[in-house]
Amino acid sequence: MDFTINTGGQAGQGIDTIGDLISQVFIKTGFYIHVLKDFESRIRGGYNFNQIRVSDSPVYAATNKVDLIIAMTKDAIVEQRSRLTEGGVIIFDEGIEFDELESCHLSAPLEKMAKEVGGSTRMTNAAALGAALAVLQFPFKLVEDALTAKFERKGEKVVANNVAVAKALYDLTTEQFSGTCGQNLSSVKKGPSKDFLFINGNRALALGAMASNVKWISAYPMSPSTQVFQDIVSQAHKLNIGALQAEDELSAITMSLGASFAGARAFVTTSGGGFSLMVEALGLAASTETPIVIYNAQRPGPATGLPTRTEQSDLLFMVHASQGEFPRILLAPKGPVEGFEVATRAFNLADKFQVPVMILGDQYYADSMMNIPRFDVTGVNVDRGSIAAERPDPEYLRYKLTKDGVSPRAFPGDAGKTVVHSGNVHLENGHITENPDLRNAMVEKLMKKVPHILKTLNPPTIYGKKIADITLLTWGSTWGSVYEAISLLNAEGVSINQLHFCDVYPLRTTTLKTVFKKAKKVVAVEQNATSQFARLVRMETGLGVDHHINKYDGRQMTARWVMTQLRGAGIA
Amino acid sequence: MITVEELEGKQAITWCTGCGNFGILAALKKAVIELGVPRHEILLVSGIGCSSKAPHYINLNMFHTLHGRAIPVATGAHLVNPDLKVIVNTGDGDGLGEGFSHYIHAARRNVNLAVFIHNNGVMGLTKGQFSPAAQRGYVSNTSPPPPGAPMWPINPVALAIAGGATYVARGFSGNQKDLVTLMVEAVQHKGFAVVDILQPCQTWNRKLTWKFYNERACSLQEEGHDPTNKMLALERSFEFGDKIPVGLFYRSKLPDLASGLALPKDGRLRDHETDRALLQQVVNDLTL
Repeated sequence: MDFTINTGGQAGQGIDTIGDLISQVFIKTGFYIHVLKDFESRIRGGYNFNQIRVSDSPVYAATNKVDLIIAMTKDAIVEQRSRLTEGGVIIFDEGIEFDELESCHLSAPLEKMAKEVGGSTRMTNAAALGAALAVLQFPFKLVEDALTAKFERKGEKVVANNVAVAKALYDLTTEQFSGTCGQNLSSVKKGPSKDFLFINGNRALALGAMASNVKWISAYPMSPSTQVFQDIVSQAHKLNIGALQAEDELSAITMSLGASFAGARAFVTTSGGGFSLMVEALGLAASTETPIVIYNAQRPGPATGLPTRTEQSDLLFMVHASQGEFPRILLAPKGPVEGFEVATRAFNLADKFQVPVMILGDQYYADSMMNIPRFDVTGVNVDRGSIAAERPDPEYLRYKLTKDGVSPRAFPGDAGKTVVHSGNVHLENGHITENPDLRNAMVEKLMKKVPHILKTLNPPTIYGKKIADITLLTWGSTWGSVYEAISLLNAEGVSINQLHFCDVYPLRTTTLKTVFKKAKKVVAVEQNATSQFARLVRMETGLGVDHHINKYDGRQMTARWVMTQLRGAGIA
Repeated sequence: MITVEELEGKQAITWCTGCGNFGILAALKKAVIELGVPRHEILLVSGIGCSSKAPHYINLNMFHTLHGRAIPVATGAHLVNPDLKVIVNTGDGDGLGEGFSHYIHAARRNVNLAVFIHNNGVMGLTKGQFSPAAQRGYVSNTSPPPPGAPMWPINPVALAIAGGATYVARGFSGNQKDLVTLMVEAVQHKGFAVVDILQPCQTWNRKLTWKFYNERACSLQEEGHDPTNKMLALERSFEFGDKIPVGLFYRSKLPDLASGLALPKDGRLRDHETDRALLQQVVNDLTL
């Protein structure tokens, strides 16, 4: 079982609410869900959709084809028509004026019944759910159980109303719908999934940061990163977290550096444009060895670009941002499970090496939702790195030269120590120097950290057979689509695998070198125009890929799209 | 009690002979001693420029940051450890140019910081270009005549009052006694406290000299100014002619920023550990 439902309409029409309810019913009945969010940069109107993929085995990406469309506007009826599968159905409210009826169209009294049976047009989502599941011939008993479980906490009346509205539309549609849907789920039983945490990448990062004892966040709202900030703010009172919306991104990151300097774990969240403003402080973090974790939820640039769309085009910018030279760490989680783990690692890495750690997401990573196993936050390891002994020490040196380049930290307020930070080149005690030997010593101090960082970072992962004729090189959020593509191609007998990076910088090169030796063709697949990761690989190893596949229209690639590109190039 | 010896700076001073900053540094040392708090509870944060080198010349915790960014760095440090007395040393180029938006927003937040503006009307360290506080007509490499600097100076006192600061004063580097008093009051004040400190740049500024200020500085307090009257304070802040008012313009009591955030009971985020059981409950509540 693997099918896709698209709920489309204007911003403000409750598209997310309908999508959420449908997703939750399928999750509750044991299925795996992946939800793609496609929306415009506006508050009301336009055309937005949620695309919900439902499967009885785990799914990590959206598909090109749609089996069922629930349309709340005329645009939503028309826009996805070309993507409708053979036997697919488009359900829309009877109130929408639409004359070009085809056999795939089903006009239904969604709002009317919501009001009549449930007492409010706010129940339209339950009505849409009932109609959709009738078309799919999904057993109503499973729907009823899921709705009951979902609304239990809100009381019997809410449960009863939701079930009644869904049932009314379910029965009406069963009676009136004369077409046949390509998907027939009449014999479906409860699915195998026990994963009930329905979450996107942004929320996973927020939870990971909070589990890592983040005590300070300052940010300026910017799509598609804002949810991370909001999620943490929403728990600030419960968990005692200092959270402040700053006047701009410069202020956001420098406040965080002050917080980190004074001893708290600090976090800033932004997108590429905001990160552009933060860059001068990235250098300050590096120079003063003040730990900081920065999240960049990438969107297509330059400038305002496409605010609510996706792209992986800030990689090389983040690798090189700021004047001067210094170590930094870049991590690019592929989905929410890895996002939580990456957040917890990011804070430990920042403290351990006293370097900036940057998490690269993108709108697809940030907003796409799936059901995953519940996180256990109680077991998260918090490692603050090297901290100076508590006793008074008038000779304390914040930048003491050590073997591994890491000096024990102390914080202003520690009795008997003076802590001196300076963005100027400094002595071991933190005060300014222009001495060339000390300049060398301080540059080398920073650079000594790199080999240790490389040892601590995770190696890339090979998906598919260890050795294959074709290797697709990927990083970050494109993993799911490409993984699905290699799985489909493997099933067709094509010798193809995937080499995927989460820890993208500094770059671990051992596996890369082996793969380049063994594969006949290495193909970079990236959601950008210039194959930035492939260029990083060439810069660090001298190895060039054989072919590039690039997508930069702001919409995430799908497995079928990747396969079409490979075929078009005569590769697979 | 901190001794003068303990405050002896670790670095040789690089300011020019006769620089107004010497008076500010001397007053700062006296103020720190008068505060009577342990040495480790004081934090100096500065931006970039001659003003911002001051923390290197007094032996205290310090963070010498970026041009214009001292206030947000200080804000973050203060909010995770409110036990610290956080003092910002900034200049007119630093805090009123690059960092001006931070200045106004910090005032609006009433964040508990003391900000000392070393105001000399020039960009000293980059060799005398006109600063945001330069007089109209000031001639420099980047403001040739006519007319010299083609704009009027920013008014840090008026803007602080209008912005929401709750302690706003003007000091003069040549009047140590009053400057020390203003500094101590500013640090002890719970809220955003500004002392705009007039100080001549001996090398570049031929107009705003020791003589210029000595002839014009007059004490608001000796005149019996009422610092609780906001409109009057604002009116007086625009006087900059034959008489330049020095002293406390405005003081009020309003909740500070820390009181509006979700800080732990003792206020110290730096030592606080998140209750993971509570967070697990948040995760569990998200689970369908």
